[in-house]
Amino acid sequence: MAGGFWTRFLVPPGLWLLALFALPIGLTLALSFGYVDEFGRAAYDSPVAPGALDNYADAFDPIYLPSLVRSVTYALATTAICLAIGYPIAYYIARFGGRRKYLLIGLLVLPFFVNYLVRTYAWVALLADEGLVNNFLIDVGLTDQGIQMINTPWAVIGGLVYGYLIFMILPVFASLERMDPAVIEAGKDLYGNKLQTFLHVTLPQTKQGIMAGSVLVFLPSVGDFVSATLLGGPDTFMVGNLISDQFFAANNWPFGAALTVIMMVFLTVWMIGYLRAAARETKPAL
Amino acid sequence: MSGGAATAGVTKPKPRARKRRGAPKSFDRPRYLRVFAAFVYFFLFAPILIVVLFSFNAQKSLTVLDGLSLRWYETFLNDPVLRESLFASLQIAAVTMVVGTVLGTMLAIGLVRSRARWSSGLNILMLIPLVTPEIVAGISALLIFWQIGLQLSIFTVMLAHITFSISYVAIVVRGRLATMGSEAEEAAMDLGATRWGAVRLVLLPGLWPAIVAAGLLVFALSFDDFVLSFFTTGDDVQPLPVRVWSAIRFGVSPTINAIGTLMMVITLTTIALAVMLPRLFGRRESAIKVLTGQEGG
Repeated sequence: MAGGFWTRFLVPPGLWLLALFALPIGLTLALSFGYVDEFGRAAYDSPVAPGALDNYADAFDPIYLPSLVRSVTYALATTAICLAIGYPIAYYIARFGGRRKYLLIGLLVLPFFVNYLVRTYAWVALLADEGLVNNFLIDVGLTDQGIQMINTPWAVIGGLVYGYLIFMILPVFASLERMDPAVIEAGKDLYGNKLQTFLHVTLPQTKQGIMAGSVLVFLPSVGDFVSATLLGGPDTFMVGNLISDQFFAANNWPFGAALTVIMMVFLTVWMIGYLRAAARETKPAL
Repeated sequence: MSGGAATAGVTKPKPRARKRRGAPKSFDRPRYLRVFAAFVYFFLFAPILIVVLFSFNAQKSLTVLDGLSLRWYETFLNDPVLRESLFASLQIAAVTMVVGTVLGTMLAIGLVRSRARWSSGLNILMLIPLVTPEIVAGISALLIFWQIGLQLSIFTVMLAHITFSISYVAIVVRGRLATMGSEAEEAAMDLGATRWGAVRLVLLPGLWPAIVAAGLLVFALSFDDFVLSFFTTGDDVQPLPVRVWSAIRFGVSPTINAIGTLMMVITLTTIALAVMLPRLFGRRESAIKVLTGQEGG
């Protein structure tokens, strides 16, 4: 009965996760078919009832669709920029960090333990129309009126990059660490050219890290609403803004639930794609 | 800072990585890469330094630093609402740490040792919260509390925080458990210990560094969390990040710099403890490896 003894350990946390994670997700799904009754309260409805899919149809209405599309494009841009920034820095530390390697990585991790709101707020103070950067630019004489930086898509994407960059750096760094530096030498012997060595040797060997990092950046970016709220405006709102509005402003919970489900399904498809791709590689990194 | 302490830990050198330990020849080290790295560090740290610096500004300005003072900290700590929020956040983090660590450790032990058929299903259920966007978790939690008629308060925030912390703790503790065989426990039982005795006297002491590190990590995550708290808090007492959110939307103010700096100090102290404390438990080991579960792989 050795197995039975250890199984007892699983019961309390298992029940907790079922009751407070799995069941609530099910509730979100159930409510997404619901409607708002005449008293303004959210009400459930059968998924096969007429009009049960109205919330889903609404989500693709021209009023809301741009937010959905924007979430995906912003998240993709964030992922690409994080890769463009994160890969070189991880490469630099893994290859040339020497004895200070972990110190350098530790320093990179440090800012990410500063509250995300506070970090985004710092960018607001920097990029605002009368913020530090514009003040500086005017003082130096580069511009008279300052440049509009806040309330632009780039400010929102920048905020997301600043928020989630570390999730790209760490897996890429780990995959570079796993790599035997001798193969780079071998690559140089074979290809000679540094760029070719990188493209044919280093890059394929770190594919897993890149894929894991991309998923880890993409997932939270899609659902983020902090960056778009603080650094953007109504023109840059993402699905996260739309969802939180349904719960706090518009008071249309079933529609908010439907938007949440759409996002979950989209991300699950993405996740499955990643897991299958990772399984094709040697060892899954997640 | 934190990483440096960790590298000193005596782990067995991996034979392959040590072969070329000398600095690479200079032609092999592209200068532009170093400049690029310097830029990245600058961009990561500059905004944070500005928050800290301006939190000590004597003036209300957010663009001109004019003299140093603690007035914004006074404004913060003299504000009864903000003070209440600070204590609420600390309370939530403490409860989350204790309950989340207990449940997460149980989960880790069960997942590694139990041969129940449904444990692999539970393994997946444990991993999903880690890849679920916080907004999804927040809304789902809000819906269950609404469904069962639980009044939103800091208690519901705790429930939501504990849920996600279970997975973090389980991952960290499991990483360590995977490196420990069950031989020591079996030996203890051969010597007359009961099963529970073996767990208490052999298993838990072995897991302790990972449990402490995971608990502190969860404290920091809970203390800093905004999204889950935002969806699950009531109106009367709100966690500090939720207050910060309302304040930022209202406009930038130097008090936010002070709150941000103080939160930073609390979080970073917790993380520093998470990195250093496990090293005090006898064996000197790399805390980074304990935290990232790299030990067992």
